[in-house]
Amino acid sequence: MDSECLSLLPSVCEVLADSKLLPPDDTSLEKLLDWFKDLTSQDDGQSLLQHQPCLLQFLYSVMESEVVDPIIFSFSLKLAGLLAAEESGFCLLQEKGVLVSMFVPDGWHVLGLWKNASVRCGWLQGLWNMLQHPPAMDFFCRNGIITLVLNLQNDESLFITSLTNQILAHILNCSMPRVLGNDTDSTAEGQALVSSDWVSVTTEIMSHMSRSLASEDQAVILPGLRLLAIVLTQCGDPLKRLLWKHVLEPLEVLAIRKGDSLTPPMMAVLQAAARTPLYIQPECRVEALMNVMLYSRNTNESVLCAASILLLEKCSEVLKSRATDVILLPVLCITGTQQHFHESDVLSGHDLLLDLLAQRASCISLLTQSLSSIAELICKKKSLDSVSIRLIGSAVISLLRICIGHYPSTILQVGNFPHLIGCCKIQRCGLDVLGSLTVYEESMDLIQEAFAIILQYMQSPDSHATVLKKAHQAALKWFSICSPSTDLWRFVSNDLFSVLKKHVCDGRWEVRDSTLEFIAQLTSALKGNSEYTEALHTNGMISVLFTALSDVEAYVQASAVAALGEALTTTNLPLCTSLQEEIVSHLLTVLAQDAESFPRRAALKVFTSWLKIPQTFAALDQSLSSVFSLGGNDCDWEVKIHTLELADVLMEKSLSHCPYAVQGYEPSERCTEQALNKLMDLGTLGLLFKCLFDCDRPVSQKACALLLKLRAFMKQTSGTDGNDLALEICRYNWGEEILHRYCSKRPEQSDCVSNDDEVSYEQIDIVKCDPCWPKEISLCKILDVLDLDEMQHTLSLSSDHVINSPRSLMEDILFVAHQSEDNVVDCY
Amino acid sequence: AGQDVGRSCILVSIGGKNIMLDCGMHMGYNDDRRFPDFSYITQNGRLTDYLDCVIISHFHLDHCGALPYMSEMVGYDGPIYMTHPTKAICPILLEDFRKITVDKKGETNFFTSQMIKDCMKKVVPLNLHQTVQVDDELEIKAYYAGHVLGAAMVQIKVGSESVVYTGDYNMTPDRHLGAAWIDKCRPDILITESTYATTIRDSKRCRERDFLKKVHETIERGGKVLIPVFALGRAQELCILLETFWERMNLKAPIYFSTGLTEKANHYYKLFITWTNQKIRKTFVQRNMFEFKHIKAFDRSYADNPGPMVVFATPGMLHAGQSLQIFKKWAGNEKNMVIMPGYCVQGTVGHKILNGQKKLEMEGRATLEVKLQVEYMSFSAHADAKGIMQLIRMAEPHNILLVHGEAKKMAFLKDKIEQEFNISCYMPANGETTTVTTNPSVPVDISLNLLKREMALGGPLPDPKRPRTMHGTLIMKDNSLRLVSPEQALKELGLSEHQLRFTCRVHLQDPHSDTDTLSRIYSHLKSVLKGYAVQHLPDSTVMVESIVLKVSSSAEEPDLKVVLLSWCFQ
Repeated sequence: MDSECLSLLPSVCEVLADSKLLPPDDTSLEKLLDWFKDLTSQDDGQSLLQHQPCLLQFLYSVMESEVVDPIIFSFSLKLAGLLAAEESGFCLLQEKGVLVSMFVPDGWHVLGLWKNASVRCGWLQGLWNMLQHPPAMDFFCRNGIITLVLNLQNDESLFITSLTNQILAHILNCSMPRVLGNDTDSTAEGQALVSSDWVSVTTEIMSHMSRSLASEDQAVILPGLRLLAIVLTQCGDPLKRLLWKHVLEPLEVLAIRKGDSLTPPMMAVLQAAARTPLYIQPECRVEALMNVMLYSRNTNESVLCAASILLLEKCSEVLKSRATDVILLPVLCITGTQQHFHESDVLSGHDLLLDLLAQRASCISLLTQSLSSIAELICKKKSLDSVSIRLIGSAVISLLRICIGHYPSTILQVGNFPHLIGCCKIQRCGLDVLGSLTVYEESMDLIQEAFAIILQYMQSPDSHATVLKKAHQAALKWFSICSPSTDLWRFVSNDLFSVLKKHVCDGRWEVRDSTLEFIAQLTSALKGNSEYTEALHTNGMISVLFTALSDVEAYVQASAVAALGEALTTTNLPLCTSLQEEIVSHLLTVLAQDAESFPRRAALKVFTSWLKIPQTFAALDQSLSSVFSLGGNDCDWEVKIHTLELADVLMEKSLSHCPYAVQGYEPSERCTEQALNKLMDLGTLGLLFKCLFDCDRPVSQKACALLLKLRAFMKQTSGTDGNDLALEICRYNWGEEILHRYCSKRPEQSDCVSNDDEVSYEQIDIVKCDPCWPKEISLCKILDVLDLDEMQHTLSLSSDHVINSPRSLMEDILFVAHQSEDNVVDCY
Repeated sequence: AGQDVGRSCILVSIGGKNIMLDCGMHMGYNDDRRFPDFSYITQNGRLTDYLDCVIISHFHLDHCGALPYMSEMVGYDGPIYMTHPTKAICPILLEDFRKITVDKKGETNFFTSQMIKDCMKKVVPLNLHQTVQVDDELEIKAYYAGHVLGAAMVQIKVGSESVVYTGDYNMTPDRHLGAAWIDKCRPDILITESTYATTIRDSKRCRERDFLKKVHETIERGGKVLIPVFALGRAQELCILLETFWERMNLKAPIYFSTGLTEKANHYYKLFITWTNQKIRKTFVQRNMFEFKHIKAFDRSYADNPGPMVVFATPGMLHAGQSLQIFKKWAGNEKNMVIMPGYCVQGTVGHKILNGQKKLEMEGRATLEVKLQVEYMSFSAHADAKGIMQLIRMAEPHNILLVHGEAKKMAFLKDKIEQEFNISCYMPANGETTTVTTNPSVPVDISLNLLKREMALGGPLPDPKRPRTMHGTLIMKDNSLRLVSPEQALKELGLSEHQLRFTCRVHLQDPHSDTDTLSRIYSHLKSVLKGYAVQHLPDSTVMVESIVLKVSSSAEEPDLKVVLLSWCFQ
């Protein structure tokens, strides 16, 4: 493919360099660069330049042109950088004067091009591509490019500022080992490269950083902090130590500076520093700075700082305990449980905090910040040692009560926070924390209170759909840790199910759907629990689920199907046959009549899960043939895939020792024959062949995989009677394609087909009527002639791999160039 | 959408609130580049902490295609706003696109149907012209935008500052939608699309006539017409056009629409009939325009039927699925025709044939010869240059920001806007930040006493049309701002008054006694500061108005006089 592309390259270069022609869109140029990247990674830039002189010609013509399109110019800068990424390519471009003209800030910068963000971005990207070896670094340092790069640190474009920081960190990383003299490459050649230019560039970057951090202007400080965080993450220890000395003083000033939003980048710097040896060196004052940050910020930002501190792997107990207090304080203050705190510095801002909490906007923002930080810490299993989980749990439960308007009488301050009632944001965050608390064993003490508040939320008519969903998620987590008890089942039967039944009929589809999803998940989680199953079946839940099958929303119907399916899958009760039959018949109706696809997909998944369980579903067994027929002819390819998954389980179950097989099942010759006949009778084999030639790739891919499995099984059991299974393929509409392939492979079987020519479909029609032609072909022969391995390989490729190939891209570029402008830019 | 058409995702920071406007995807990429890189917003992935809300203007994928990725894969739990029709139709298009993407590439790292559903559960629907309070300070209001069913412009307000985002809009009504409209809301910034920034579009009637003529000619000569479309949107406009034409001409050739989608389209157009144009709403009772007599559901097997037919099939760019399958079947016959009613990105068959490629390489080195006629007729409903200027006149913004357009065309329109309206116009590139300074007016209550005092001093009566400066003490308490007299402020806040005095010392070499030096200074000041009250007081001080001077010297250096000056500002 590459050789074909390379043959098109001269024309492409010519078109791109011609300023009279329309430039391709930036997507095409980006994709072309992707291809060049692949090429240069396989080969070096010099050989590409030598074998493709059109590239150099293109770069020359772009440099010389005075009317070049910014998009093309940006592309050429990136390309030049890529070609110079290897030393040999770099030397060639350097020799030809290309690099100086393109990257040194005296030439084209005077043209208006520099104003264009895509050109500045291209210039940086080109540099970034090129700076991979010492000669390129040397070129960079000698030509004063650093000044321009440093200026771009404050560019209006965030793409450019981000790239600038990456480049600056890269330069420091590459040059510092040599500048500091601790480079492992201590050869004379290596050391010779450490010129005064290198030293001055690194010095300039570091001075620039400390100047940026000492600035009064937040827009200047911000990129400085971001660069510092990158350097602390990516660079070597000696550089970090040296740099830290440069920046410590301005950082100390920044740590106490108030009234700006530098907290997140400052904390990113301190977090990065804390992961280096700087942290344990007292003179580096990393922890001291964190401490200052924790107390010098406004309350919201202090919570942010505290969350960052608690995420650290290593952190002193004192700091950790303070950070925990800062995070918890807003929640504990609201719920009147702040007595936990002993440290005066935490409580010193207590009045201010109460003032903030008394105002709606600041209260919501503060609590959201605090709760989401708590949830994040719990999810990452960070211990909150200094505080008992019970205390946090109680506080969160009290807060949730306040938010729903149920004041606990013990909370005196509650009158101050009426603005929290009905606040969805806090309710969602609170329920998240409540659910996450289940990772701690100590939470078991709170189980009753937790279920009580969750139930209150579910029962509240004011609960927003998103809040109810969070309540469901929290409930599932609490169910997952609680041990079964009579009280629990009473709660489920009496309270939970009655509210869920109401929600299944809610006016909002979001609520109906989340409720049905919750029922399915709960049923699955309590798999095999007879009390639960009994409650489910005796409380009218099944009939509610049946009703939900006729919901107007397809999403809800699908969730109802899944919930019903789960209810039957997990049950241990001897279900009456009539119920089984009723459900199967409902699902078959869904499969036949639904027009929205989600319910049909859900129905197929349910059938598959039923088939996997050891018990026999007589009703399903009787209907499998209909299921295969309906699923195989569905217009939605995902339904077909699910039908094939069902076929897969059936095949496993029928043909081998599979996990779903009935105990005591022993395959024998007779069994194999019976199994194959059964598969044939149920339409499973027909489904596989039909799907093999489906126009949707994933369907044929899945069918092909199953047929390969079948072929392997047939080979394993060769010599058994089963191999004699023959198919009368002319009876089926998928038979024609098989016949076509069969005749192509075995032309000797019929007089109607010659050995030389490719078999046409017209000839196939004649073959069908040929009396000498065998009416039945054995399954083994069919599987042999299908060349399934080759098919599997082809199907594993993306269906658009040709249209999206580099060659196709180049053809597009050539065609677009000669089009009129009207066709090129438009949109839906 | 910065100097770029499509993939709209704009972040607005206004009055301390951060709002994301649209969350579109780039249809031209198959890798990570198709979605916005949200790490530029926040590194730790907690988008919910950073964003106050997300607003989606309409259901096209270049405006909403990255939404499930953002909310379910990156993680955003906050509110998402869109109109009712957009909320209903958006998941259909996302699902259709997901199916095509997964079908085509077998991709696994893509959002799932479940994620689309979970994302839609976070959506808060908007009604037109209804002010929705996102929180205490942030409010939004939707306006009709035309373009497609449910498309909306949105006004975002925090305090006295406001921004209007147009999304895609159309200022001329079409067969099923009305024209965009907005209040004279005078936003600080109007963020407007500029797809047709330099175009004055030819008459739509001509385009429609041309379209019908081409379809008719093909049908007459026994050919088949394929019209690749996205599931819902402009397709319905073309359906109405063909339906009416078939009726008028009494044509018998069948028209088909991809299975399932006709029913869905009908359902939603009936459900949201209030969002269509006046004519459709009026005639709805007698005849629903979306219940087509001539357009039937399509089955794959129909593609092989002999004789003429017209088929609307998805997807619109011929890159996979049903439209591509039909195209492959029909491409070899010169009697057939494919009409591309919209834009196609690179890397699609649609893009290739629109650019005149006649031989398409297919899988397994097979070549598809494109003999059928290829026509491009843009039916996209965007405002043209005239329409954009009309909207600016309607809203009267203080600044304009152009998005969703080509750089060169934007630059032309920018000049035109700046000349005609004498306001600043910006056109940032992707990734660029534009900062606009506003002068927010903060309402402050003034105490009656202060007003009376001003009037007593001869000031004019308060007049909102004639702003003037008032002096007083500003009390910021309990979320209110009040300007009161300093005395009242002291009283209210229970504070006592303090006076600041400033002092400085000047050193003089003078051999006279301290008293003589002071007398000499007094005489000098008296001569130079005529018109000022200069007094020599008995306590050995001189006073010039409120400034006090004293002279002292030490026994060790009696000739070095220290002159102490002390004053306060009043």
